[in-house]
Amino acid sequence: MQRPFLLSVDRLYCGEKNPAPQHTRRALLLTSAAGLATAALVPQAIAGEEHLASEHADDTVELIERLTGKTPVASDRLRIIMPRTFPNGYTVPLDIEVESPMTQSDHVRYVRVVAPRNPLIEVVTFHFVPERSLPRVSTRIRLAEPQFVVAFAELNDGTLLTAKTWVEVATNGCA
Amino acid sequence: MVVVTPRVQVPSSVTPGKTFQVKALIAHKMETGLRRDNEGNIIPRDIVNKFICRYNGVNVFTTDLHEAVSANPYFEFYLRATESGPLEFVWYEDGGKLYSLAHQLVVDS
Repeated sequence: MQRPFLLSVDRLYCGEKNPAPQHTRRALLLTSAAGLATAALVPQAIAGEEHLASEHADDTVELIERLTGKTPVASDRLRIIMPRTFPNGYTVPLDIEVESPMTQSDHVRYVRVVAPRNPLIEVVTFHFVPERSLPRVSTRIRLAEPQFVVAFAELNDGTLLTAKTWVEVATNGCA
Repeated sequence: MVVVTPRVQVPSSVTPGKTFQVKALIAHKMETGLRRDNEGNIIPRDIVNKFICRYNGVNVFTTDLHEAVSANPYFEFYLRATESGPLEFVWYEDGGKLYSLAHQLVVDS
């Protein structure tokens, strides 16, 4: 069973202004131990995350509009796969996948990934070529703090697809 | 002097029109330019800012890297080929230096 989201319970309720306490190894162990006892809290934590997601939805759209000048559409065709929690911020796995036939008339031009709460938000951009490369990539990135990692993909007709995923990191990977 | 070593992994032969996986890794510290040394001076940025994969002289996969890519940048991506030809991999470092590797791709006929 994947262990659900124990580190962040306090963060979800203390909101944006109060940064989460530094997660040391000791704190992590204590939280995991306590987490077993407080499993009942987990559904609430997930509900809290959903709340956070809706709160951030507009921010994401606004950010992408500022970066590209276009309005993105949230889509299932673009998938961004990252672990929900990761012990360090230095090498967080990132998998990107777009459903596309990759023909001349229907293909993905690029996928760009941003981490809005890193000191420098740009992460990486992948450019693809129809018939030759598939819009599917794995790599490793740095994250400074728990945040939504946002990906957006431009198709050949100019449509912008977007997807995001919440990642909880225990240490700052950018310092 | 730090030695920067690029490495790639490509299947020994591929079926025409079928996709195959390519893994590319370069041992590079990817200094972000945000860190400070013991005297408090900023350590200047030194990253690989671009990675290109060429097949038969045409760019087939390009990546723009920023500071938030981990040290020793690693990419796993998928290509499709119809004929044998050279696969070239080039990493561009800040300051204009580049590292490259070439591989002869064998496509079964």
